[in-house]
Amino acid sequence: MHIVIVGNGVAGTEAALEVRRRAPDARITVVSEETDHFFSRTALMYVAIGQMAHKDIEPLERDVYERMKLQRVRARATGVDLDKRKLLLAGGKEPLAYDKLLLCCGSRPRPAPWEGSGDLLGVGHLVTMQDLHWFTRELWGSEGHDQPERPWAHLDASTDDSPYRRRKTAAEVRGRPAEKACVVGGGLIGIESIEVMAAKGVKPTFLIREEAFWPIALDGTEAAWIAEELRHHGVDVRLQESITAVHGDDSGCITSVDTDKGSIDTDLLMVAIGVMPQTGWLEDSGLELEERSRGIVVDERLQTSDPHVWAAGDCAAVRWFNGWVRPEQLWYTGRDQGRVAAASLLGSEARYARGTWYNSAKLMDIEYTTVGLVNMGVDGEENWFHQEQGRVRSTTRLVHKDGVLIGFNALGRRWDHSILARWIEEKRSLAWVKANLNHARFDTEFVPPLQLPA
Amino acid sequence: MDLQAQQGLMTTYREAWRSRGATAWVASALLVGFYCALYWTDWFEGPAAAIGLKNKWYLYGFLYCVFMVGGAVYYLRQHGNSRYNQLRIAVNVAVQVLLGFTLPFVMPMLGQPEFYFSYFWPLKYDYLFPDTLHSLPLYLSLYTILGTFVLAPVASLLWGKRWYCSWVCGCGALANTFGDPWRHLTSPSTKAWRFEKVAVHSVLLLAFFLLAVAIGGQMLNDKSEAFVQFSYSVKSWYGFAIGSVLAGVVGTGLYPVLGPRVWCRNFCPMAAMLGVLQKAGRFRIRVKPDMCISCGNCTTYCEMGIDVRSYAQSNQSFTRASCVGCGMCAHVCPRGVLRLENTWEQADDKVRQGLGAVDF
Repeated sequence: MHIVIVGNGVAGTEAALEVRRRAPDARITVVSEETDHFFSRTALMYVAIGQMAHKDIEPLERDVYERMKLQRVRARATGVDLDKRKLLLAGGKEPLAYDKLLLCCGSRPRPAPWEGSGDLLGVGHLVTMQDLHWFTRELWGSEGHDQPERPWAHLDASTDDSPYRRRKTAAEVRGRPAEKACVVGGGLIGIESIEVMAAKGVKPTFLIREEAFWPIALDGTEAAWIAEELRHHGVDVRLQESITAVHGDDSGCITSVDTDKGSIDTDLLMVAIGVMPQTGWLEDSGLELEERSRGIVVDERLQTSDPHVWAAGDCAAVRWFNGWVRPEQLWYTGRDQGRVAAASLLGSEARYARGTWYNSAKLMDIEYTTVGLVNMGVDGEENWFHQEQGRVRSTTRLVHKDGVLIGFNALGRRWDHSILARWIEEKRSLAWVKANLNHARFDTEFVPPLQLPA
Repeated sequence: MDLQAQQGLMTTYREAWRSRGATAWVASALLVGFYCALYWTDWFEGPAAAIGLKNKWYLYGFLYCVFMVGGAVYYLRQHGNSRYNQLRIAVNVAVQVLLGFTLPFVMPMLGQPEFYFSYFWPLKYDYLFPDTLHSLPLYLSLYTILGTFVLAPVASLLWGKRWYCSWVCGCGALANTFGDPWRHLTSPSTKAWRFEKVAVHSVLLLAFFLLAVAIGGQMLNDKSEAFVQFSYSVKSWYGFAIGSVLAGVVGTGLYPVLGPRVWCRNFCPMAAMLGVLQKAGRFRIRVKPDMCISCGNCTTYCEMGIDVRSYAQSNQSFTRASCVGCGMCAHVCPRGVLRLENTWEQADDKVRQGLGAVDF
C-alpha cells in the first residue's frame, strides 16, 4: 500500500511515524517543498534572534527518513486527481500515484491587504522557513548561524510562482539592516516578532486595530499589563490604529505606512494578521472545503469528502468542542490529528475529539495560561479577578456561571492546565476552586504560593 | 520582580565567542595551556608566593573563586530573575569561597590538615585511601566516610544528584557560572549519549578499582613489594589521566567549544554514582501534558545534552541519571511545561497519557 503525505510539518511527520509504527511494511512518501527536515514552526523566532540554531529547532535527528524508511519527494503539490488517485506536482514532475492520501499542507500567512504592499521589499510574515530567512536578513543583514548544509537544495525543482522561493530583502537593496519597524496584528506572531526586534535593539511600532491587545483572549486589565510590558521594552503600542496604505521608494523598498491617525516611517513591516489554510491548490479538486475558512472538511475520523483522502493539522476544518467546524491552528492539536489520521487511514477506529479547550503562551516575559470558556460571552457568566502585585506579579481570572467554574485565565504564574480542565469537567464550585487553587500551580521551586483574599 | 521564565531573548549564536567562532577557539587554547602549565610546570609558584600564598594550588583556588564570581554575575544578569537560579548560584559561590578556598587556607594555620569539606570520594579519589584516613584527625575521617556512604546517597535519593552537582560541587559550580555562556554547546545527539554512558560508568569502575588497589597495597604493605609498586603506579596514572587530563585540561579547557559539562557528563565518577541513586530516588522532571510546542529551547540549553524535548513532546515525566537539576530547561521553556520535583508519587497515568483528545 502506498501512502502519500503532503507536508512534513508536525501533523505530517507525526502521521508518517504513526503509520510506520502500525504498518512496518507500508510504502510511505512525504512530499514537501518548504524544507527537507521537520522543524518546529513555533521556534522560528528563536532562530531569528540567534537564541537557537537551525538544527536546534528540528525535533528529530536527520536520519529519521532512512531509519523509518520514509521516501522524501522535494516538490510542491499543485492538485489532486481524485478519480485516478494521483497527486499532481509542480515543475513538470511525474504525478504521484497513491492508495491513500493524507493532506497536512498547513497554513499560509494572511496576505497584506493594502494595495501594492505585496510586491514591496521589506514587507513580510513570520510563518514559513523562507519567512525566517527573509526576516533574519532584514533585521541583521545576514543569515542566521549554523545553516543546514545547502539550505536551498530542496528548492532546486521549485518554480518561480512558489510561495517558498527565496525572497529579496529591503536590507540588501538599502545596504543596511532595518532600523525602524512596524508590526501589524495583535496576536501571538506579532508579539513574537516584536520580541525578536526588541532583543536586536529595534524598537517597533505595534499597530493594533482593536481597543486592547488580543481581545479574544484577554480582558482590559490583562491586556493593559501586556501593553505596559511592551512599552517598558520600548515598543510604541498604538491601539485602535489601522494601516490604510503602504508606500515604497523607486527601488521598491518600503518607506512608510499611512494609518487612520497619521504616517509612520519604517524600514520593515511585519504582517501578522493571522494564518489561513493553505488549500488554494485544492479549490478545483472536488474535495469539500469549509465555506468560510476554506479548510478541508473532515469527519471525526479525519476523513475528507473523498474516501481515499484524509486531512490533519492546520489545513483541516475539524469539529470543535463547542460544535464549530473550522481549523484548529495549534501545535499539539496538529500532532494529535496527525496521529489519529494515521490510525484512521490504516483502518483503525480512531476518532478525533477535542475536550476542554486550553492553551498557553508567553507574551514578552509574561506567561499566560487559559482553560475552558474565557471571553466567550457565555450567558450569565461572571468573572472573579485577582491581581497580585508583590515580588511575584500575576493575574488570575476565574470565569463562573451559577457558582460553577467554566473558565480560567491567568498571567504571570505557571499553572497545570490538566488539573484545571479536570475541575471544569467535574463542575467544581467557585468557592472550592478558590480554596484549592494552589494545587493547580505549576510554579518552579521556591516561588511562594498564591495568597487569595478571603 | 520575580519571574520564572527567561527574560528577553538571548543572542547566543550571534556571539562568536559563544558559538565556536575564532575567539572561542583562542579562549579554549588559553585555558588548555593554563591547565597544562598549572599541572606540569612550576610557573605559578612565583606569582603565588608574590601575593603571599603558600603554593600554586592556593593561587589556583583563588583564581577559581574569581572566575566563579565573575561568571555568577554574568549568569545572574541573564537568568537571575528566577528564585531557583538566585538561590542556587548564591550557594555555589558561598560553598566555593568558604569550603573550597577559605577553610582549606585557614585550617593549616590552626594546626589542622588542609581539608575540602565540599568534596567526597570518588570525586576526591584519595579521601578513602587507608593512608589518607589514617593521617586525618578522627572527626575528618568520620566526615569523609559518612559523607560518601551516608550523606551523598541519602541526599541523592531525597533531592536527586542536583544537591551535589549543581548546588555544592566546585566543578559543577564553575560550569554553571564561568562556563554558563557555553551551555548550549553540549551535544544532544544519540551518539554523544552513547559515549557518555560508556565513558562515565567506566571511570566509576576505575575509581572502585583504584580504591581496591589502594586498600590492597596497604594490606600487602610488608608482604608484596611488587603489589605496592603496582598500587603506586595505578594511583599516579589515575591522578594523571582522570584527575589532571580529564577533569582539568579537557573538562575545563574545552568549555568554549564543547560546553561546560564535559567532565561532569562523561567522566566524573561521583556524577555516575549519584546518577544511579537519582534514578532510584524522588527527583524527576515533571512534564505538563499536551502543552509542549517542541521548540527545543530545553534541549538546546541542557548542559548535560539531554534531549528534554523528546520527553516533553511525548508527555513523559522523567528522571535521567545524568540530569544535574540546574533547572534551565524549566527556565527557558516558553510554555512552562517542565518542573523539577522531589516526590515519591507516581505521575498520574491519565495525565501522562494526555487529556483524551486522541481516542484510539
